[in-house]
Amino acid sequence: MGRADRPIVRRSLFSWVFDGNLGWQLLLLAVIAVVVVARVLPLEMQKRIVNQAIHLRDLDRLLLYCGFYLAAVLLANGCKYAINILETLIAQRVLKRMRSALFDHILSLPLSFFRDTQPGTVVNAIAIELVPPSNFAGSAVSTPVANVLTLLAFAGYLFWLNPLLAAVSLSIYPAAMVAIPFLQRRANWANQKRVDLSRIFAGRIAESIGGMHEIHGHGAYRLERRKFDRLAEELRKIRIVWSLYRYAVKGANNLFTGLGPFLVFLMGGYLAIRGELELGALVAFLSAQEKLYDPWRELIDFYQVYQDGAVTYRRTMEFFDVAPEHAREPSGRPSVELDGRLEVKHLTFTTESGIRLLDDVNLELNPGEHLALVGFSGSGKSTLALCIGQLYAYGEGQVMIGGQEVAALTKQDMAANVGMVFQSPFMFEGSIAENLLYATEAAAPEGEGPSRPSLDDIIAVLHHTGLFADVLRFGLNTVLPAGSHPELARALVRVRHKFQDRYGEKFRDALEFFDENRYQLFSSVADNLMFGAPHREEFSAARIGRNDYFRRFLEREDLNPLLLEIGETLARQTVGILGNLPPDAVFFEQSPIPAEELPRYKAVLEHLRRGPRNLLPPEDAHSLLELALRFTPGVHKMAGMGPKVQAVLLEKRGRFRSAVARDLPDAFAFYAASEFIHSQSILNNIVFGNLTTASSPVLDRITQNIIQLLIERDLLETIVDIGMRYNIGSKGEKLSGGQRQKLAIARAFLKAPRLLIMDEATSALDNRSQARIQNLLETRWKRRSTLIAVVHRLDIIQNFDKIAVMKAGKIIESGSYTELVARKGALYELIGRK
Amino acid sequence: MSSSAENSPGTACEFTENLDLLRQTYFFSRLPLESLKVFAYLGTREKLNDGEYLFRQGEEDDQAYCVVAGRGCLERSDNGSRRDLREIGPGDFIGGLTLLGEARRLYSLRAVGEIVCLELKREKFAKAVQQFPDQMPRIFRAVVEAVVSWEARFLLELGGDCGRCLPRLGVSLL
Repeated sequence: MGRADRPIVRRSLFSWVFDGNLGWQLLLLAVIAVVVVARVLPLEMQKRIVNQAIHLRDLDRLLLYCGFYLAAVLLANGCKYAINILETLIAQRVLKRMRSALFDHILSLPLSFFRDTQPGTVVNAIAIELVPPSNFAGSAVSTPVANVLTLLAFAGYLFWLNPLLAAVSLSIYPAAMVAIPFLQRRANWANQKRVDLSRIFAGRIAESIGGMHEIHGHGAYRLERRKFDRLAEELRKIRIVWSLYRYAVKGANNLFTGLGPFLVFLMGGYLAIRGELELGALVAFLSAQEKLYDPWRELIDFYQVYQDGAVTYRRTMEFFDVAPEHAREPSGRPSVELDGRLEVKHLTFTTESGIRLLDDVNLELNPGEHLALVGFSGSGKSTLALCIGQLYAYGEGQVMIGGQEVAALTKQDMAANVGMVFQSPFMFEGSIAENLLYATEAAAPEGEGPSRPSLDDIIAVLHHTGLFADVLRFGLNTVLPAGSHPELARALVRVRHKFQDRYGEKFRDALEFFDENRYQLFSSVADNLMFGAPHREEFSAARIGRNDYFRRFLEREDLNPLLLEIGETLARQTVGILGNLPPDAVFFEQSPIPAEELPRYKAVLEHLRRGPRNLLPPEDAHSLLELALRFTPGVHKMAGMGPKVQAVLLEKRGRFRSAVARDLPDAFAFYAASEFIHSQSILNNIVFGNLTTASSPVLDRITQNIIQLLIERDLLETIVDIGMRYNIGSKGEKLSGGQRQKLAIARAFLKAPRLLIMDEATSALDNRSQARIQNLLETRWKRRSTLIAVVHRLDIIQNFDKIAVMKAGKIIESGSYTELVARKGALYELIGRK
Repeated sequence: MSSSAENSPGTACEFTENLDLLRQTYFFSRLPLESLKVFAYLGTREKLNDGEYLFRQGEEDDQAYCVVAGRGCLERSDNGSRRDLREIGPGDFIGGLTLLGEARRLYSLRAVGEIVCLELKREKFAKAVQQFPDQMPRIFRAVVEAVVSWEARFLLELGGDCGRCLPRLGVSLL
């Protein structure tokens, strides 16, 4: 298909109607042909029932014609349903294809396009604006064909019955065709005015509310009221005009459809009285006349669908009609293999607005040489790096990697040979492992399964980049559900004993050990009451609040009033702090109310304002109870828990335990030093308690000791493997900036590219991590991969093979560190200034 | 408006204490309660033992500290010799500039006995400030005033003793 070669943004809307849907559309036409016949048939049957069956008092004929009538009605409705299904099918196929094609096109647009384009615009285009065009494509054939055919069939039938009467009754349609669009245009105009005015109106109200203290301060109530009234009055007028036109359109439509039968009665009655028209024909005429209205209206609606579809389609496609700068895949050859030689000759890069960011840059690097680009912000370092990486299309000059011009290479060629680490690396929703393999998988040729790096390679990279400790910590924070890793669970209990023996005393301050006789401030209220891991799902943390047995216990022990009070305090405090914040992990990681439940608790608080706690609707009371059960004073710092409350809950823990022992002896495994706790993380299992600090030096020391114990038991890799499955959240939001950078470096290293481009890639790392990466580059990657590093911190550049100092888009000085320092030029001055 | 109406009795807790602490710092004192609450909520408390360091000279530290209890000592090492500069204590706020941008520490802060600090990370601060963009100018103004009044006081009290440092005065002119 020739269309496939044309970019999606240049395709016409009509091309989607048949492309790939030809079979469906033909089937649709066949069904339409049936439906048109099935719509006209009842009219003829009506006539025959009146004229022949009733008039001649022939029961057999009555039954026969009624049978035909019924069959036709059933067939028409069945077919109509089939048509709707087919239309939906085609529309959804088109929508999916349009979305995929447009998204694919957008992916390959140059980066400059996205600087001026809001993400929301792209989301809107793909998610919403393609819907009307696809709806149009679904009905583009069926609706006009079906309705025009129906109209023609009815009209033809009318003319066949009585040409004169047909001509008279159809004469109203031309009049309608003039009057209704005219009224509609007026209504649209009024509507536009109404929308504009409403916007001003809303702005004025917002302004008044915003300046409320001024209004109060000046006592300017009358003044504000007058300003408001003026606008409200204008709005009133235009809304009336708008409504008048809208009802006029409706009224005119009704009038025209009402006039039809009137003309038929007048004219047809006259003809019938004179014996020139049979009574049956008159009945058929009236029915047909009435039925003309439906296809007519559908055609008018379809015109609207077409207009909507065509306009949004054109706008959307025009907006994205930008050509990609490079081909994505090489055609007819595998990706090239480049050696790491880099030559930059007379490279100049000018922005669209004419600002020259790079000016005649020349550079040469042998395979495996390392270059540091330094200079002030805005000197063009990053631009140069991005030009070399093909992310910016340069205008003049040449960039050659392994003797090949970068501008002429495809994206796949670049991906196979070049690794990139950006200053603010982006991570995608998914596990650590998925993000780590992102670059490797992307570089694999299409169709071939990605050659997955071995676990050893992966673990080596984690060690090199310093990500190992982080991944281990994610692994340690994982909860192992009952039955998932029985061997591991047993082994971890042994690790627990060792930890207690060796380090229990040492970390007393940083840990809160599980102790039957103490309230745990770092466990939830529910955990404190149960103090055990449930064997049954119905006692799990997520469902405990709805568990009948547990609720009866709370009732019996009279705990509900206390819990409701805790819940209310917590809801008040949390909503007061986080009520208007976006659902970002930073804000909600210490919140007992997750972002998605915030509206629910706002509603509960609203209800509490109107009535006392004990009169709350059961659902609200339940929400507060759930919240109280989650309350963990050590984490949810917005509220406190006094010693009296702790004592009460501690006493109830004992009572719960004896109740369970009596009623449900196998429902819980109470915390015991000899059992793995499946409701707690691996870390909490090892230390047999909760951490009470987030201070990294302390955590590091604890982790170090645990690593030692895990190595002794040969469990380290298992835990790391579990940690690799940790989901880092949307945009990697659950990682710190430093962790994201380490992950970005790790994924580039894992690809072992010939050319490595690092744009301030270690800026978010602490000293130790930065030194580790620097050391790694020198020992492991020198002479293996050519490196271009944009560097902000000058204390790490001594060991680079070459240093290029940039200023105002030019390389003003280059050479080795010692040479440049000895020369006492630009670098010397830069170092001095820092 | 009043916070006592919102906090039912018996909820005196870390959060309210943090809120009171921050409200007394030059950096946060001008912020309305709504945003101040968020900063107080985002802060975490850490306890350090005698001789442990909150941050060290040369490190790129990423948080600000408000002393809740205990004492610390600021020190500076030059050419291998360490000098204690001054002590800080409850209510002192250190590292506001760190919240606004990256910088290497020029001093170290050491715990003298046990010290408890309220710590606020730059990343958290930045996320929160995004939600209250109109507060940023207030913070900048507070910082500018603090720098200027710091130098004014310095000149008033010690300006006469400057000697060789005289040509390098004028941090408020930056």
